[in-house]
Amino acid sequence: MLRVRFHGRGGQGVKVASRVLGTAAFSQGCYAQDFPLYGAERRGAPITSFTRISREPIMERGVISQADIVIVMDETLLHDPMAMPLSGLKKGGIVFINTSHSQEEAGAEYKITAWVITLDLTKIGIEMLGRNILSTLAGAVASRIAGLEEDSLRHAVEKEMSDIMTDRELIEKNIEASLYCYNAIPPVEIKTSGTREAGTVITMPFETAGVSSPAIYAIGNTPLRKTGNWRVFRPVWNYDACTKCMMCAARCPEGCILVNEEGFPYTDYENCKGCLICVEECPTKAVKGVLEVHA
Amino acid sequence: MPDPKNVEKMMLTGNAAAAWGVRLAEVDYIPAFPITPQTEIIEKLAKWIADEVMDGRFVNMDSEHSMITAAGAASATGVRTFTASSSQGFLYGFEMLYTVAGWRVPLVMVNVSRGLSSPITLEPDHNDVLAARDSGFLQIHCETCQEVLDSILMAYRLAEDKRVLLPVIVNLDGFYLSFTREPVEVPDVAMVRKFLPSYRPEHAFFKASQPMAQGVAALGGSLYSYFKYQMHLASQKALEVYKEVCGEFEKEFGRNYDTIESYMVDDAEYVLIMTNSFSTLGKVAVKKARENGIKAGLLRLRLFRPFPAADIKDAIHSKKAVAVLDQNISIGKGGILYSEIAGCLYNEKQRPLLLSFIAGLGGKNISQKEFEFIFDKMLEGDTEDVGMPRLLYTEAEWKEAAKLKEIAGRG
Amino acid sequence: MEKTPEAAPVRSIKDLPSEENILPGTPVCAGCGGLLTLRYCLKALGSNVVIVNAAGCFTLLSIYPFTPFKSSWLYTAMACAPAGAQGVRDALDVLIEKERLDPEDDLKVVVLTGDGAAYGMGLASTSAAIHRNLDFYYICYNNEAYGNTGFQQSEATPFGSKTGTTPPGKTSPAGKDFPEKDLFEIWNSHKPPYLATISPAHPVDLINKFKKAEKYRGPKLFIALSPCPPGWATDPSLSVKLAKLSVDTGIWALKESVYGEVEHTYIPKSFKPVEDYLKLQGRFAHLFKPTRQEETLKRIQEMVDDYWNRYKLLL
Repeated sequence: MLRVRFHGRGGQGVKVASRVLGTAAFSQGCYAQDFPLYGAERRGAPITSFTRISREPIMERGVISQADIVIVMDETLLHDPMAMPLSGLKKGGIVFINTSHSQEEAGAEYKITAWVITLDLTKIGIEMLGRNILSTLAGAVASRIAGLEEDSLRHAVEKEMSDIMTDRELIEKNIEASLYCYNAIPPVEIKTSGTREAGTVITMPFETAGVSSPAIYAIGNTPLRKTGNWRVFRPVWNYDACTKCMMCAARCPEGCILVNEEGFPYTDYENCKGCLICVEECPTKAVKGVLEVHA
Repeated sequence: MPDPKNVEKMMLTGNAAAAWGVRLAEVDYIPAFPITPQTEIIEKLAKWIADEVMDGRFVNMDSEHSMITAAGAASATGVRTFTASSSQGFLYGFEMLYTVAGWRVPLVMVNVSRGLSSPITLEPDHNDVLAARDSGFLQIHCETCQEVLDSILMAYRLAEDKRVLLPVIVNLDGFYLSFTREPVEVPDVAMVRKFLPSYRPEHAFFKASQPMAQGVAALGGSLYSYFKYQMHLASQKALEVYKEVCGEFEKEFGRNYDTIESYMVDDAEYVLIMTNSFSTLGKVAVKKARENGIKAGLLRLRLFRPFPAADIKDAIHSKKAVAVLDQNISIGKGGILYSEIAGCLYNEKQRPLLLSFIAGLGGKNISQKEFEFIFDKMLEGDTEDVGMPRLLYTEAEWKEAAKLKEIAGRG
Repeated sequence: MEKTPEAAPVRSIKDLPSEENILPGTPVCAGCGGLLTLRYCLKALGSNVVIVNAAGCFTLLSIYPFTPFKSSWLYTAMACAPAGAQGVRDALDVLIEKERLDPEDDLKVVVLTGDGAAYGMGLASTSAAIHRNLDFYYICYNNEAYGNTGFQQSEATPFGSKTGTTPPGKTSPAGKDFPEKDLFEIWNSHKPPYLATISPAHPVDLINKFKKAEKYRGPKLFIALSPCPPGWATDPSLSVKLAKLSVDTGIWALKESVYGEVEHTYIPKSFKPVEDYLKLQGRFAHLFKPTRQEETLKRIQEMVDDYWNRYKLLL
């Protein structure tokens, strides 16, 4: 069985990517299972989805903790302590990273000892689809790595896109872009070891409600979550054009635009989600949205 | 033992006894909503507060759902809170029972048992209160009006103990206790204060100088499991705390309430298991059986959550036969108590024959004949009533129902 | 003790209180109009508040072990946040009366709810809290659908909106084919001390309404039309622009009511056509493509015109 785990952010098409892979496998006669893990998180927040592919009926359910293939659709997740996309990658498994870096650079940068494959899906998405939605592209990459046929992928993209959109032109573009991604990656063969059981069962000790009620005594600690890595575009200020009107600071939903010593606004990039209301609302066009280049 | 000067004996209904318990516990806050047969409790409290004989705040809520929410929220803010409901109302607020228990706040609430619709009815059985058995609320079930008053005082002690911090339901039967007057010893408030000091929460409150987020979401199964299982461990801890509270209550007031009441059980060979006010009828039947030479006894479950499995097991594992009278019915399964009692005996090497009867639904009387029928079955060792619970129902009742069906055009 | 906001009205965006009482890092969507609304409301209210939350998107603001607030929070359930506010308010009063809580430790009690709860399931408990003259604030962030479950029809969903449960189809080309409830008028029939509509695009108006409301004891109710990028199918950067357009087209009237007497606090000098607002949003895209639904568009414009004609304010 091949166990594939997709990591991306809400709005990037993580769920559909796992479906494209599932449908591609199904259409060439395999047993397949795919599902997303919905958290409380929203557009921009880390999301995981899963696909299992097998020649035999699949007798597993739930999250894939030990994956043969990990598809990282958003490179910033590699730094995210909650997402931890590389956790439980099996020995001999493959990590795909959506990045502008080469395999060697990415492997070195993220200290990954496993087999790394890279392709700049974001660039392909923006150029070929006009947007940073990577569902079919990531599904294509995963299909290639999983050894599925090109026709199965074509069928799956057609099917999955038709379910969620009516714009024929955009469906064709998705097929074209996904086949491009499929062929941009050389075929591989995966040899992974079996899964390992983890964890010792404990006897949970009793703790009084002073400790064990679902209450938070800390205050204002969400900045620890560092939602800055949700961004696709970062707001950048041109202080030559800025009149210090502070419209950007007032309009920021997160309240993360502050004032520096010279009285100019700047944002807390650790937490700025990149909504770009500041760019839209700046009366002098002094704020620009710049595509994030990570790592 | 209490000084009789500090105790006044009064004729009180179960509802009035409940109200007295609340008054003596010096409860700060009572959100309320009327429902028969509970309404007398909140009317009495409203009147005392209006007359300033009780220093509490009373608010009329718009539904039981709102009422339980307001009660839980006030408890989470740090005041001693009471509320009461019954039957349909109890179920209307059901979502909030789980929610408030999860907040880990020591709310005490009375449920006056009444059969559930449909068909809508007025008299008691325990499907209402037993529906909440998995919610995290502790449950104390009462047989007498005295016990109602006493249990409310014990409930606050138990709920507010740092090792417990779970809400408590005190249950009494509609009509059979709620509207029935009998003599009740009402202690004075100074005695009660010695037993039940005022509530000063350290874990859940709201104040400007110490912000706190309560009842927050917990996503992910392992964290959720932690919070839920800790509620279970606290409930288990409450068994131990209950014994302490019991001891102190007896020292102060001279009445003992163990988790279970064993009535002539020690040397008995045949035991009835019952709860709430109908247990009195069972005790009479036990006495009659003893007169007829049957070594009979009755075990009354008083603390239902946490479930005192060890105490029950010790009391009955060596008996010849035990009959569980469930005044409830889990449609498609049978008696709720029966399953729980069978569960706690299963791993015993020595265990009695365990028979299941459904009795007293919607307040239906249990006659002496019906009790005799049960003892006959136990003596025969009849296993017919093991799998399928038998509804205790007499021929006269069957004929009466037939007449009514005819009038309804259903003959 | 928090500093009491000065009574003088705020004049410009530059004068907004600088204090931030909700911090970044929340799990809500980038560009959330509700979050921007809440940020302004908490600037006005200060940090000595306890928020009593109803099930909705903002349930997610406090997920163990994180909270964005400098103040307190209680999550209740969907139907009953005003009842929770009742319990908290009464308990605080009791504690202060019985000298178990320093009056300096008192809190403003604030219900926070989406339109799903406010317009529907929570309406009875809200009505009852107003009826009891509960001294509390009530903030409804209204994105005109059940947003937390992925955007389905609520009782605030407007005529012509596509949602997950009002898909435009052969039988209902408009999507939702009847208008929303008028919650402002429902509440206003209770004649509460203070009631207002607010907008995240008009923070000065918003802050001044809170300042005015503070004078009154009893219910102080606010409804904010709050752009929702994923539900409205709009770019997150457009949230403020859409909130502005909702006001400038006359779709969202900024008004207040004191004991039932309604006054508009902002009347656009000239009303923009509703299409300017509708055409930017994916939830209305079916009204324009593949074929323009002239009748539907006309009716939406008429409903807005009728509203302002009723007040003789259409210039």
